[in-house]
Amino acid sequence: MTLGDLRKGGNALIQDLPEGEFRSQFIRLGLVKGASVRCLHRLPGGTIVLEFSRQEIALSGELASTILVTIP
Amino acid sequence: MHDLDIQHKPHRHTGKEALPSDPLKQRVVLVGNPNVGKSVVFNYLSGLYVDVSNFPGTTIEIAKATYLHYELYDTPGIYGVSSFNDEERVARDIILNADIVINVVDAVHLERDLFLTQQLIDMGKRVGVVVNMLDEAKKRKIAVDLEMLELELGVPVIGTVAIRRDGLEKIHELVVNAREGKQQKELHAELHNMLSTLGSQAEALLVLEGDQIVADRHGVAHVHASKREEIYIDRRNRVNRLLDRVLVDVQVGKRFSSTLGRLAVSPLFGFPILALVLYVLYLFVGVFVAQDVVDISEDVIGKGIVEFHIKQFVASRAATTVRISLIEEDGQVSDSRAEFFPEGLERNPSLWNELRDWAESGDAEYEFEYSSPWLILFFGEFGAVTMTLTYLVFLLLPLVLGFYFALSMLEDSGYLPRLATLVDRVLRIIGLNGRAVIPLILGFGCVTMATITTRLLGTQREKTIATTILQLAIPCSAQLGVIAALLATAGATATLIYVCVITAFLVLVGTVLNSKLPGETSPLLIDLPAMRFPQMNNVVKKTLFKSWFFMKEASPWFFIGALLVSVLQVTGALRHIMDALAPIVVGWLQLPREAATAFVMGLVRRDFGAAGLYDLSLSPYQTVAALVTITLFVPCVASLMVMFKERGLREGMYIWFGSLLLALTVGGIVSQILL
Repeated sequence: MTLGDLRKGGNALIQDLPEGEFRSQFIRLGLVKGASVRCLHRLPGGTIVLEFSRQEIALSGELASTILVTIP
Repeated sequence: MHDLDIQHKPHRHTGKEALPSDPLKQRVVLVGNPNVGKSVVFNYLSGLYVDVSNFPGTTIEIAKATYLHYELYDTPGIYGVSSFNDEERVARDIILNADIVINVVDAVHLERDLFLTQQLIDMGKRVGVVVNMLDEAKKRKIAVDLEMLELELGVPVIGTVAIRRDGLEKIHELVVNAREGKQQKELHAELHNMLSTLGSQAEALLVLEGDQIVADRHGVAHVHASKREEIYIDRRNRVNRLLDRVLVDVQVGKRFSSTLGRLAVSPLFGFPILALVLYVLYLFVGVFVAQDVVDISEDVIGKGIVEFHIKQFVASRAATTVRISLIEEDGQVSDSRAEFFPEGLERNPSLWNELRDWAESGDAEYEFEYSSPWLILFFGEFGAVTMTLTYLVFLLLPLVLGFYFALSMLEDSGYLPRLATLVDRVLRIIGLNGRAVIPLILGFGCVTMATITTRLLGTQREKTIATTILQLAIPCSAQLGVIAALLATAGATATLIYVCVITAFLVLVGTVLNSKLPGETSPLLIDLPAMRFPQMNNVVKKTLFKSWFFMKEASPWFFIGALLVSVLQVTGALRHIMDALAPIVVGWLQLPREAATAFVMGLVRRDFGAAGLYDLSLSPYQTVAALVTITLFVPCVASLMVMFKERGLREGMYIWFGSLLLALTVGGIVSQILL
């Protein structure tokens, strides 16, 4: 499943990042394979608010659905 | 770490001397992620005199100042050094030219911030690290072992709470002691081997990480991007290991964000909070500043005192006809007198005094009609000098200050990224993303100001879309007051129709541009900093800074615009344009002839346009048609000029003629349907 499918309050482990320009930006932020994330909110339209290692970021639904995750 | 056999001479490599400066002074550059408090540090070091200019070839502003005997540069907040977007490209070049890099990091988010730190060290730069926000870290029970960090990184490290100026006194030592840090052996060796083709270790690293632009500067073939990934992941891992030794987390897994910050971006509370924030914004800027303050500053001080005295001064020495009208309470003219002074007021003081005494008998309006066309040009009804002065200082300045104050509050509190997150989806419909919310909000203040702010947006495409929407569909505060008044008279149905037409048009334009323009809008990926109470001196400084910058940029355009219009008026060309427009106005738009005057005047000053309609006693539907036309047509001459400046002549022309056509077409259609 992808990050875009994560329900509110759900935890997940990043399994695979998409190829392309955002890959590097994810790595920089600390969103790497194996990183543990938690979904704080889902906004109408698909935007997701994530929490991971003391940070909060928001990303659009389309971007989130390019990131593969597994449920721990 | 092995010793370097090659002597590193400081030398500059950007392919063009991008930053004109004193070659004898060392360059200290502040680098860090957004929201780490970098600007506070910069302000502390820079003192009062700061020079802000555009990085050549971009619309990114960089701040430069003098710190002791160094040249100090601030860079845009970045997460890493590369070429992913304009901010990074600018920061990259400034860093490449830096002698010393002071990296500001957030103690609470070291796992994110140290990535950049490590990259700077890998670039072989002399680095000093400022670990800021120690107070926040303490609150969240995070302890950072600064000494261990210094040991691990190999560069000097200090801890600060910049907002309270704690620890900032240690910065000088940091700058002096900045040195190259611990670099990974294999990477370092590889970079060294590349030095013969590339000027510096820093550039070598960037090329290895896939930076095409830097590679092109040295005629090196493009390096496959997967090297970057390898280096990035390795760097990520190094930082993680380092963090294990440096961070002492007393309470792991604790919720670290404030409730407010969470709620502000939640689907349930986020939107009501947004509505509240927008309402408060409207109350402060739209009501208090735009109406109450401006009423005093523009009418009483601007026109009543300043303009009057300037005009009187000119009249005292030149041939003038002085016309005085006595105004009743209801605004009607009860009496008027006109006297001609062939050599100016000074030569005929008795007549002038007599006139003044007569004027005291009521509420008087003075008009100074100069005989010389040159004087009319500069000091007449649309006098370039008087009109620009009043408009800029007494109308625009309070508005701009108000808007930037509100914006700085939003920014400093950490709310702005949350706002962008909430509206992202909606803006996506018109081809923009959350970030565009800033120029759009500012547009309701002054479209000229907002057009300048479109520089913030990531891609040319977004800038085009945002600019077009601003110019076409967003009424500025100067207009809004009058529009609201006119709509109030016209009734609820008229208001509804007006709002619907404008909104529909806005969406239409955005959608069309979105599909027609090449490329895609960048998806949202935004960091949500902790929310906190805005620091007032930060906010005030930002407000003054940004307002000053805007006034500096926009003033010449307002002056030129006013001059142009004044020339048109004095030569009679203005009248001709209005006459030419009249048939369309009467026949197609089905409005009285005088509306043509209002439309043309709207170009001069937007509020003139709307106000001109006021006197025409239009029927409700006529009002809608007129207002639709006036809103859709490009705003005042100043914003027109700024648009040409920002988007270029060709694109500007497209937008301008397009809007003229659309405004008349849509206005006409509305009119034909309703009337």
